[in-house]
Amino acid sequence: MKKTLFIFLVSVAASVLAAHAQAQVVIIANSSIRDTTVPKADIRDVFTGASSNLKSGSHAVPVLLKSGSAHVEFLVLFIGRSDAFFQTNWKSLVFSGQASMPRTVDSEKAVVEYVETTPGAIGYILKTTPHDGVKTLSVQ
Amino acid sequence: MLNRVLLGAATLAWAPMVASAQSAGDQNLQIHGFATQAFVYSNNNNYLGMDTSSGSTAWTEAAINVNDQVTSKLRAGVQLHYTRLGIFGGDGISVDWALGDYKINRWVGIRAGKVKMRWGLYNDTQDYDPGYLWSILPETIYGVDYRATDLSQLGVELYGRIPLAAGLGKLSYSGYYGDYFVATNDGIMESFKEQGINFSNTPWGKTPGFDLRWDTPVKGLTVGGSLMAYDAKGNLVNGTYVQPLAYWPAYYAKYDYKRLFLSGQYTKLIQYQTVAISGSIPSTSGIDNPAWFAMAGYRMSDRFQVGAYYTRLWEAPLPNSPTPEDYFHEWVASSRYDINSNFYAKIEGHYIDGNGIGYYGFDNPNGLKPRTGVLAAKLGFTF
Repeated sequence: MKKTLFIFLVSVAASVLAAHAQAQVVIIANSSIRDTTVPKADIRDVFTGASSNLKSGSHAVPVLLKSGSAHVEFLVLFIGRSDAFFQTNWKSLVFSGQASMPRTVDSEKAVVEYVETTPGAIGYILKTTPHDGVKTLSVQ
Repeated sequence: MLNRVLLGAATLAWAPMVASAQSAGDQNLQIHGFATQAFVYSNNNNYLGMDTSSGSTAWTEAAINVNDQVTSKLRAGVQLHYTRLGIFGGDGISVDWALGDYKINRWVGIRAGKVKMRWGLYNDTQDYDPGYLWSILPETIYGVDYRATDLSQLGVELYGRIPLAAGLGKLSYSGYYGDYFVATNDGIMESFKEQGINFSNTPWGKTPGFDLRWDTPVKGLTVGGSLMAYDAKGNLVNGTYVQPLAYWPAYYAKYDYKRLFLSGQYTKLIQYQTVAISGSIPSTSGIDNPAWFAMAGYRMSDRFQVGAYYTRLWEAPLPNSPTPEDYFHEWVASSRYDINSNFYAKIEGHYIDGNGIGYYGFDNPNGLKPRTGVLAAKLGFTF
């Protein structure tokens, strides 16, 4: 019984540590964005085309990564769906005339550059990627 | 055939241009497109205007769109669409939508031009094949041979999304008003012809409508309702055609979370028409068609999906001893494999009981059998 409990507690601790270890993605924004703290649901709305504004009313222009660990982790943490679903959802909006596809770039460096120079831009990168010149949003 | 080959070639030719357009510095111009080719086989009746009992490849679709984000609030775009479905669709390319879209504030936007109509779960996206697991959406509500008329209207749409009080989710709305034209080369017009109603001009009318959907606090659960209303008038070769305002409400729900997808919709079409033929007393007839579907899908992996749906439609009130012409019940099982981010393949089996819709006299000259099995396979490309 003690052994089972020990294994259970170790598993729980490992899961918690793993979740923290994975949470390396940060949301960055152009300095024109007024918000400093953003609900997770608003991030999801902006990056799935459901909304183009944040809570403060700031117009948000999402920029996507084509692939990579930051993209995968972003999808897991904020969208909760696979890349295939994510892309299909955007294309359904594009092909029904409801939206245009967000800019998609190849590297996190390109995300930072775009966010820094584009009013309203909002993107995601790994915490370790240099991101001077942009603001980091706190997600609730 | 030549047009289909040319369109396919043109679609493929656009692909490298898209890559360059999307990677070109500050350009906001985007180009996207898709093309699909189907093979459909049926064991009894010919289905959807194709010679399916012999196995038919006469179903090809393609679209290409251009979007320009002119300013942060203004977008302009156009989409051209090609559909060839047996004798329907023809060789022409139609403008699917062409609009200006202005975001007034965070809660209200306005679109004007030729604008897709948001109705039920899938009306505005039903001609984007890569967006679905299914090869054929529920024929009872999203009839592929009837859809060309209901896709878009020439007018305006007000739309937006409003957050409700904390914890209550969000409300999306769309309200529209405009003109529409009955498609001259799809199943609606063929059905008119088979009833002896022959138009000398393109019938048209006004179509007001709205859609309201609630993204509930339950993650992945959306419920909503829509109403599409439309009237029509037209000249016949020997008289006139008048259809007062018809009503087509839809009530729906979908649950889309992680790998599971569930949805259902109920609709009821109420429509009357008066045909006045020179020298005869005008005759009025009506349609009262309830219909519904329930579907489920599951993403087995990032690339492979499976699903099934059941749908039915019937003439109300259904007679005590209904004939197969009075109803349409369908069971469908489907699968889709995404070969890569651009190419996909689908295969789907249908068992149809009744023949209230989807069948035509011109390719079933010896009458209809009460039940039909259909196999549909598709190969598609999107960028």
